[in-house]
Formats: sequence, C-alpha cells, structure tokens
Amino acid sequence: MNNLLIWPIAVPLFSALLALLWIRRSTWIGVFGTALSLLVVLLVGRQVVESGPIELALGGWTPGLGIALRADGLSLLMLLMSSLVSMAVAVYASVYFSKAERRGEFWVLWLLLITALHALFLSGDLFNLYVTLELLGLSAVVLACLGGSRESLQAALRYLVMGLLGSMAFLIGVALIYAGYGTLDMAALADAIEAGPAAWLALSLMTGGLLIKSALFPLHFWLPPAHANAPAPVSAVLSALVVKAALYLILRLWLSLFDGVVTQAAAVILGLLGAVAVVWGSWAALQAERLKLMAAYSTVAQLGYLFLFLPLLTALPEGAARDVALGALVLLALTHGFAKSAFFLAAGVIMQRAGHDRIAELGGTARALPVTAFTLALAGVALIGLPPSGSFLAKWHLLSSAFITGQYVWLPVIAVGTLLAGAYIFRLLGYAFAPGEGVGPSLSAGREEIPAVLLALIATLLLGFWASAVWELLPISAYVGGGA
Amino acid sequence: MIDLNLTILPDLLLAAMLIGLAWAALSSDDLRRGVVLFIAFGLLLAIVWARLQAPDLALAEAAIGAGLSGALLLVALRDGVAGNETAGKLSRLSRWLVDLFVLIMTCLIGWVLWLTIYAEPVERLAQLANTMLDRSGVSNPVTAVLLNYRAYDTLLELVVVLTAVLGVVVVGRQRRGYRQAGPVFCGLVQWLVPLLVVTAGYLLWVGAHAPGGAFQAGATLAAAGIVLRLAGYDAAGLPDGRLLRWLLVAGTGLFLLIGLGVTLSGGAVLQYPEAWSGSLILLIESAATASIAAALVLAYRGGRPGDWSSAGDRDPNREVST
Repeated sequence: MNNLLIWPIAVPLFSALLALLWIRRSTWIGVFGTALSLLVVLLVGRQVVESGPIELALGGWTPGLGIALRADGLSLLMLLMSSLVSMAVAVYASVYFSKAERRGEFWVLWLLLITALHALFLSGDLFNLYVTLELLGLSAVVLACLGGSRESLQAALRYLVMGLLGSMAFLIGVALIYAGYGTLDMAALADAIEAGPAAWLALSLMTGGLLIKSALFPLHFWLPPAHANAPAPVSAVLSALVVKAALYLILRLWLSLFDGVVTQAAAVILGLLGAVAVVWGSWAALQAERLKLMAAYSTVAQLGYLFLFLPLLTALPEGAARDVALGALVLLALTHGFAKSAFFLAAGVIMQRAGHDRIAELGGTARALPVTAFTLALAGVALIGLPPSGSFLAKWHLLSSAFITGQYVWLPVIAVGTLLAGAYIFRLLGYAFAPGEGVGPSLSAGREEIPAVLLALIATLLLGFWASAVWELLPISAYVGGGA
Repeated sequence: MIDLNLTILPDLLLAAMLIGLAWAALSSDDLRRGVVLFIAFGLLLAIVWARLQAPDLALAEAAIGAGLSGALLLVALRDGVAGNETAGKLSRLSRWLVDLFVLIMTCLIGWVLWLTIYAEPVERLAQLANTMLDRSGVSNPVTAVLLNYRAYDTLLELVVVLTAVLGVVVVGRQRRGYRQAGPVFCGLVQWLVPLLVVTAGYLLWVGAHAPGGAFQAGATLAAAGIVLRLAGYDAAGLPDGRLLRWLLVAGTGLFLLIGLGVTLSGGAVLQYPEAWSGSLILLIESAATASIAAALVLAYRGGRPGDWSSAGDRDPNREVST
C-alpha cells in the first residue's frame, strides 16, 4: 500500500474542479495545479528510484477484484516527461490565454488532460486503461476545439470520431481478454497470457485501436489538421504527450503483457508502416507551407521512427542488446516530446507576433525574436537527430540494433528520414534567419519565450548528456513478463 | 445436439429483431429515421438485458442508451440546418468494404468468444465479488463493483461525463427554447416531473440492494429536466452561474474527497471503513446523481449557459437566486 501514487492523479483533478468553481481565478489555479502535479511526480520518482516499483491497491482490494496503480521505470519516465512539458506549456499558456474569452474552460480541460495522462501512465488495469483513454481523448478533442475556427472544429470532430473508433477496438480487446483469462489486472495477465486465438485477436484489436490514436501511417490522416489548427499550447501537448500515451500502451502490451504472443511478422508489418510514415511524413513536412502544419507532419514522421524499433525489439533475444534498444526507443520518444513541444510553443510565439505562420514570409524572425529563433534551431537539432541531442544517441542505437539483427532494410529509411528532416528544418531556418519584415518588432517576451527554450534545451542537452538515466530507470519493472 | 426448446423461440426472435433494427438504423439514409430506429434498438436491447437476467444493465440501457441518448440525438438533429439531414454518403464500394470488414470482425470475435466462454470456461471474478459482498457495505453486487471494488473507474467515469459536458459548453451554441406548452401538456408536466424526481430518488436509494444506482437515477432526474424544457421552461430546472458549476462538480469532488479522506484512518485510497461504507456509498451516489443529471440536462440545453463565468464575479448574494 502506497497512497503516494494517487497524488499525481488527484492533484490535477482536484485543481480542475477548483478551476471550474472559481473560473475567474482559473489561470492561477491552472499554473499552480500543474506545478504541484510536477512536485508530486518528483516525489513518486524519488521513491521509485530508491525502492523500486510501487503499487497501490485502491480500496484495499486485491488487484483483480480491485484496481491497482503501479509506477515503474517506464511509467516514471513518461510521467516526468508529461509533467515537465505541461509545466512549461502552462507557463506559456498563462500568457497565451490571458485575454481569451474561454480561458476558464481551457484551464479546467488542461488540468483534466494532465489527470488523464497521469492516470494512464499509472494504471495497472486494462479496463481502467480504457477509461483513461476515453478521458484523454475527450479532453484532447475539446482542447483542440478551442481555436474556434471552422477548420479546427472539423479537424477536432474527425479527431473525436477516430479516437472513439480506437477506444472501441481497445475495449473489445479488453473484453476478449477478460473472457479468456478472467482478470483485468495487468500483473496477473503478464503471467497468464499465452499464444492462442483469443490472445491474437485481442492483441490485434487493441493494437489497431492504439495505432489510430498514435497516428501510425496510414491511420495518421486525422493528426495534421487537428494538431495544426489547435491553439499553440494545445498543439504542443497533443503532439508531445497525447500520441505518446498510445505508444506507451503499445509498448506495455507488446513487451510485457503479450510478449509470448507477438510474432516477428506482425512486428515487421508495424515496422514497415513506420518506415513509410518516416519517409512520407518528412516529405509532407518539407512541402508544408505553414509552420504548424510542418510541425504536425514532422510528428507523423517521428512517430514512424518509434515503430521501427518494434521489429528489432522482437528479434533481439532478451538481454543487454534488447535493453539498449528499448532504452533508445524511450529516449527518442522523450526527446521528441520535449523538442516538439518547444517547437510548437515557438511557432505560437511567432504566430501571435506575425499574425500568420506562413514559412516563406518568416524573414526577420531571428532579429525580432532571437530567443524564439534559437528555440526553433535547438528543437530542430533534436528533430533531425544531430549530436548532442537525445535523438542522436537513440538513432545511433537504432542503427546498431539494425546491424546486430541483420535487418538492413531499415538503414536507408533512417538515412532518408534524417536527410529529409535536415532539409525541412534548414528550409525553415533559412527563412527565419533571413532579413525581412515578416515579423513585427519584438516586445518583452520572457514568460512566452523562456518555457520553449527550456524545453528545447532539455531535448538537446539534458537528454543527450544524461541519457544513461533512461537506461538505468527502465529495468525497474512492475511487470515480470518482459523488459518493460 | 441442441435440444429444440420452444421457450428459446421468443429469445431468437428478440435477437433477430435486434440485429435487424441495428442494421436498419445504420443503413438509414434519413438521419431522423436512423435516430428513431436507434431509440427502438435501445429499448429492445434493454429487454434483451432483462431476459439475460441483468436488470441493472436493462435499466441503464433504457434510461441512458435509449432515453437520454435518443433525446440528445433528436435535439442535435434539430440543430442541423434544414436539408442537411441526410447521412453523409460513402461510395458504394467503400460501403461494401466497411460492411465486409465489420462482418469478418464480428464473426472472428464471436468465434473467439465461443472458444473462450463455452469451450474452456475459466474462473472469472463474479464468484470473488459475491464472496466479498458482505464487506462492501451494499448487497447489490453491481453497486459493490461500481462503488467499492472498482470505485476508481467510476470516479474517472464521472470525470469523463464532466469533460463531455464541458465540451458541449465550449463548442455548442445555446439552443433556442421551446414555446410555452398548452394547458394539457402543462397539466401532464405537473404530474410527470414530481413522479420522475421521486422515481430517481427511489432508484438511488434502492441501488444499495437491488438494481438501480447513480447513473440510472441521474438519467431519470435528467428526464425531468428535459420534460420541463420541452414544456417551455428554458432553464430546464437548472440553476444559473456558480451554483450550476457547484452542481456539476459535486459528484466528482465529493467522491475524490471521500476517497482521499478515508486514508486518514490508515487505509488505502478509496478504502472505506467497513462500518461506514454503506453510508459513504449512498452519499457519493447522491452527489453523483445530482452531477450526472445536471450534466445531461446541460448537454440537452447546449452551449454556454448565461452567467456561466460572469455570475461568480458579481455580488455573491445574487448568485444563488435562480
């Protein structure tokens, strides 16, 4: 029993309720609630590092009859990413939404989104995961609507329908698992699940649902319009955190719960889809005329890289090489989370100053908004995968795992994807650092520009130099089934 | 060999009608017709649940699945611009492909369920849930699961309801009200609304030991609000401003506070002290009923309520008056 685990969920939830009641003070409650959530996540983190995975059996019932919350290395890393990113974005949003008519609703939904993310990363029960997925999807959709334009409403509606389809498939999979194994507790299931028709069908349904939510090619089509048309702080968390939640679940399912069920062929199919996503997403980003649309397509590509790891992970025997590859995957996901949120925040700053985000008209950005231009460049370093960013290390290990397993087909994909990423980032920087009058004169912009540059610094420097922490944390596992 | 029993015939008929109605609702080109068929489908499904001896589900399906969802769908249709009421048409080929995919998946899922449930049944949790029942504070196993064993799920589901209604507030425009009803309907309303309120109270109370509970009670209470709205009372029984927001928050808030508060006595989160669990569950369910009803009626009204964010900013003495 460890009641500490409820606090990363209870703190943002309680703050959300307070923000709804005192809607006029919602900005303060929102920022303060986000900061407090970060604090309790750090407390949880300290305990995980000191004493290993923690479990909280809610209501005192044995997991199975009741629901257990669990924190281990993987969920801790995701929690840290989501609470750090949301802290920085909250500071930015306190400026972005300071004049908006709907800021009260924004802060309530913002805190509910954090609640959903934290609940998802901590949940140890399959049905409870479905509930958190619904909460996450719903709050994300409503946040995406806050732009208020017709396009953002259309995009959000499509996002909602696709999200519901994904949750439905996940739920049917959960029902099959319960029918087959008589429990929903993930620790018990990690021992119990064996290859067979029920496990295969359940895994395909759940994975299919999650693939929609994590926007793997060709199920990505809802993502670019939804992410590009949302308000900048919302785009940042949608791209950085919400899609990662689905990816986190895929990792849990494939590596812990169903590790005896997944086949190499299935993993290769996902890897191939990931490869297409890398090339196609990068190409579309290069073609994009608007900054936020470019960032959204770049998310499609970056998610593709993460799926390239799956066939390598299933091919590697359990042991050091596999742990290295898994750590690299998580490191890439974390780096992208920080870099992409920094990128979207910088795009938001530019958009508010210039009134548009057409890339070709961004001349003069570097002179008017030097900090923001610097942020774009730093985040770009991490998106391309240049040293010393975390993604450089991650891609390095991706390449070496491909060599170890002899799956050379992924090498050209990584090369082409990286070159295209370089092309779209340098195309943007070319315009941004060119002289021009596209962006008006700068005002003092501390609270707007600093959060983004901090996020970009985490992505390029912190995750690059202290990447070993990822590999140290991951083996702390609450599920015996596999390495994650 | 299946022994052909005549008592199974009505069930087969029910199942066939259910599938037929589902198909008709999905393939209807006219949205209004589709919605009406969907409501009929919900009612039939409630009967099926009753036949399967799941009265809790039957009640929930009738109240929420058929009743409230139907009302929400109909009022959403009323929002649609005239002439825009036909369903978006897919090309014939893609429609066939979707149908084929759904058919294959249904067969696969059916086959796997048959394999897992009938061919080699495993022990599931119902047994355990029943054994633990006397420690849960209620005697209705469904309520025990929803508010004790898996109370955390229910807490998050209340948050989902709250999020959904915030979505309606953010996205929707306030709908036009209805004309003041004539004397006959008004007379009916005077009977119907108190009856619905009393029924909701009964469902809430009885949930501890028989089918019923917060979601069914909340939906019934919301039905009273919708009847009021249809009769021309635009507020539909909801208060304004901050009081409305208190009402929306009450269920989740009280649940969370109780869940955390019980840790003071040394237990885990949501571990009610055994002597108190019955009363605590009733308390949580009462607040949840109010919140669910308020959320559903607000969704039916649509849009940002007047005084939503400004009422709290004015003179605090004026907020409570409605």
